Amino acid sequence: MGKIVLYMSMSVDGFIAGPDDSEEHGLGVGGEVLHGWLADGGVDPASHRPSDEAGATVFDEVLATGAVITGRRTFEFAGGWVGDHHDGVPIFVLTRAAPPEPPPGSARYVTDIASCVAEAKAAAGDRDVLLHGAATAQECLRAGLLDEMQLSVVPVLLGRGRRLFADLPHVELELVRVLDGPAVQHLGYRVER
Amino acid sequence: MAIRLDMTMSVDGYVVGPDDSVDAPMGDGGFRLFNWLDRRNDPGPSGQVVAESMATRAVIAGRRTFEHAGQWNGDHHDGVPIFILTREIPAEPPPGSVRYVTDAREAAALARAAAGDADVVVMGAGAPQALLRVGELDEMELHVVPVLLGRGRRLFDDLPRVDLELVRRLTTGEEVDPAQRVVHLRYRVR
Repeated sequence: MGKIVLYMSMSVDGFIAGPDDSEEHGLGVGGEVLHGWLADGGVDPASHRPSDEAGATVFDEVLATGAVITGRRTFEFAGGWVGDHHDGVPIFVLTRAAPPEPPPGSARYVTDIASCVAEAKAAAGDRDVLLHGAATAQECLRAGLLDEMQLSVVPVLLGRGRRLFADLPHVELELVRVLDGPAVQHLGYRVER
Repeated sequence: MAIRLDMTMSVDGYVVGPDDSVDAPMGDGGFRLFNWLDRRNDPGPSGQVVAESMATRAVIAGRRTFEHAGQWNGDHHDGVPIFILTREIPAEPPPGSVRYVTDAREAAALARAAAGDADVVVMGAGAPQALLRVGELDEMELHVVPVLLGRGRRLFDDLPRVDLELVRRLTTGEEVDPAQRVVHLRYRVR
């Protein structure tokens, strides 16, 4: 069975988006710097593969996952990835209330974190599950369902914006990997339970 | 030469747990952050960064940190001058080599002059934030501990945007007890 792994880019002061994030500006004011370690490319996520070894390693792991869990906000701010995050793997969108209109492509709405995780794990089989988004990560941590975190720490203080971690219980971690990119540190932690 | 923040923080950015006070200076559960200091006298990254901190020749801290640390009995290390940023200067004179200062720029100038060719160490959360806002913080050495404290006092709060550059990354070896492992990230403020 694969692991549930959070992949997020965050500033040194803990923000995953600048202030005033919206559907037009998913990363908020000044937040684009957080994705600077991903190579410039077109709309195809695969074209963002970084040229450095550390970045490429993390990028390849993300694209090797067999399912995606994300929150409604992240999903919508990312334009729903036009229904396909990568390779058409199932996308489970955590939301309080599922809208009447079905989501695009391989996405589906789920209203509780436990079934979201169970369904994503089943769908991914032996592969890991990509978790993306702050609110969903927090829900997963509170429910004790997160296995690992891969944080790409970008050398900037954004000052304001959306935080990755807020109002959580005490959670012990274990450092499992550190990779240095040209302008980013990829810190890997196992979540202890 | 450099004014450098030296602080231990959790992965979620806290430097003390919730409900910190003079009686519980690290707040609820916050002493978890200091497990890595059990190896402060060892060779290796943790010993190295502590030695660098102790080689500084002046200290800047905020009033809260100062009070919660029992005023360091007036001597943080080697009797070097300590400049405490405070909104109001207390009536009682400070102990030892301590001096109260009400302005972050003045604290920086005094500490730089006192340290001469050596570095200045900054501790606490309020003091580095005040120095960052006036552009007087040169470097940050962050000891990132593998824990989410969940709640408490954040190191960085409500700041302007500040660009950084990583100048050094040290990591405790894998042979060490996981609870004592830490990533030391040193950034230059651009």
